[in-house]
Amino acid sequence: MKAKHQRLTLAILAVAAIIGAALLAMSALRDQAAYFYTPGDVKKDGIPAGRAIRLGGMVEQGSIARAADGVTVTFRATDGATAVPVRFKGILPDLFKEGSGMVAEGRFEPGGTFIADNILAKHDERYMPPQMAGEMHKTESLKK
Amino acid sequence: MNHWPFIIACYVIGIGGTAGVLLWSYIAMRRAEAQAEAITRK
Amino acid sequence: MHIFANPARFLSIARPLTPWLGWIGALLTAVGLGAGLFITPPDYLQGESVRILYLHVPTAWLGMAGWSGIAVASLMQLIWRHPLAAVAARAVAVPGALYTAICLATGSIWGRPTWGTWWEWDGRLTSMLILLFLYIAFIAFAAASDEQGKENRAVAIFGVVGSAILPVIHYSVEWWRTLHQGQSISLTKSSIDGSILWPLPFSLLGLTLIFAAVVLMRMRTMLARQKVEARMRRMARA
Repeated sequence: MKAKHQRLTLAILAVAAIIGAALLAMSALRDQAAYFYTPGDVKKDGIPAGRAIRLGGMVEQGSIARAADGVTVTFRATDGATAVPVRFKGILPDLFKEGSGMVAEGRFEPGGTFIADNILAKHDERYMPPQMAGEMHKTESLKK
Repeated sequence: MNHWPFIIACYVIGIGGTAGVLLWSYIAMRRAEAQAEAITRK
Repeated sequence: MHIFANPARFLSIARPLTPWLGWIGALLTAVGLGAGLFITPPDYLQGESVRILYLHVPTAWLGMAGWSGIAVASLMQLIWRHPLAAVAARAVAVPGALYTAICLATGSIWGRPTWGTWWEWDGRLTSMLILLFLYIAFIAFAAASDEQGKENRAVAIFGVVGSAILPVIHYSVEWWRTLHQGQSISLTKSSIDGSILWPLPFSLLGLTLIFAAVVLMRMRTMLARQKVEARMRRMARA
C-alpha cells in the first residue's frame, strides 16, 4: 500500500513537471516559434531590407490595386495600428480578400515596400453560411 | 478553384483508413481468438 | 477502473461491447459525414472545402485523445501494475498513429485550396507532425521491448513523457503566431455557425466509438495471443 502511494505521488509530480516544462518552453519560444512578423513588429524591430521574412496581417479595406500588367498586385497589410505596403506578382489564393488575413513571404526593399514572392491566405476560426455572412455585412454597412 | 476533388480525396483517405483499420483489427482478432480457443480445447 | 484489471472480467465485458461500439459508431459516422457532404451549406469564405472539417476535427481529436489514453494507461501500469494497462497502451498506439496521419493528410489537402499551400512549418502543423513521430517511436519501442519478453517500464515512461506534446499542440495556435487559425470550439462556445456545426458531433462521437471498438479488438487480439504463447510454453516444458 505504501509503495503504491509513493509511486502515485511521484507520478503526479512527474506529469505536472512535464506539462509545466512544455508550457514554459512554449512561452520561452514564443518569438522563435512565431510563424510571421506583423507590421507592428517590423516597425519596432526594424527588419533590414533584403532579409527573407514572412509578413502577416489583414489586407486593408480598399487598398488592393492591380497594376496595368494584370499580374502585379499592390495592397496594404495592417495589424490595426501599423500598415505596410506590399507588392506581389503572381497567383493569389482564392481566400485572399480585403479585410481578411494573409501571410506573405518575401523581403523589404529599401523604400519600405514589402516585395512578396508568395502569398498565403490566413482565415480565422469563424465558419458560417454565405447568407448569414451577407446579412452581417449588411448590418455592419447600415451602422456606418 | 474547384474544391470537390480535395474534399473527395479527404473523405476517401478518412473513410478508407477507418474501414482498413477496422477490418485489419477484426481479422487479426478472429484469427487470434480462434487459435486460443483451439489450443485450450486440446 | 480496478474491475478491468482482471483479464477474464475485462473480456466478459469487452466481447459483447465491441460490436455495439462498432455498429453505433459506424451509424453515427455515416450520418455525420453524409450530412457534412450533402446537406450543410458551404462557408461564406472557404466555400465547399469547409466540408473537410467533419473529418479533420475528429481525427485531430482522436490523435490527441489516443496519446492521452497511452499516457493514462502507462501511468496505471507504473503505479498500480495493472496487467491490462500495457496491453491497452499498445492497442491504442496503432489507431492513434493512423488518425494523426489522417489528420495531417486531410489538413494538408484542406490547406491547398484555402491557404494556398500543402504544408507550412508553423507551430500547429509541426507539433502535430511530432506527435505522429512519437506514435511511430512508441510502436517500434514497444514491439522491440516485447520481443525481449519482459515487462518493460521504459515503454510506459516514454508514454507518459510523450504527453508533453499535447499542451504544445493545443496552445500552439493561441500562444504562437501560426498560419493555422485559432480554436473554433471550446466547452462553452463555438464560432462555427449552427447550420455548419451540427453534423460534427455525429462524426466526432461516431469515429470515437469506432476508435474504441478498434482498441477493444486489438486488446482482445493481444490477450488471445498471450494465452496461446503461455500454453505453448507450458507444453514445451512438459
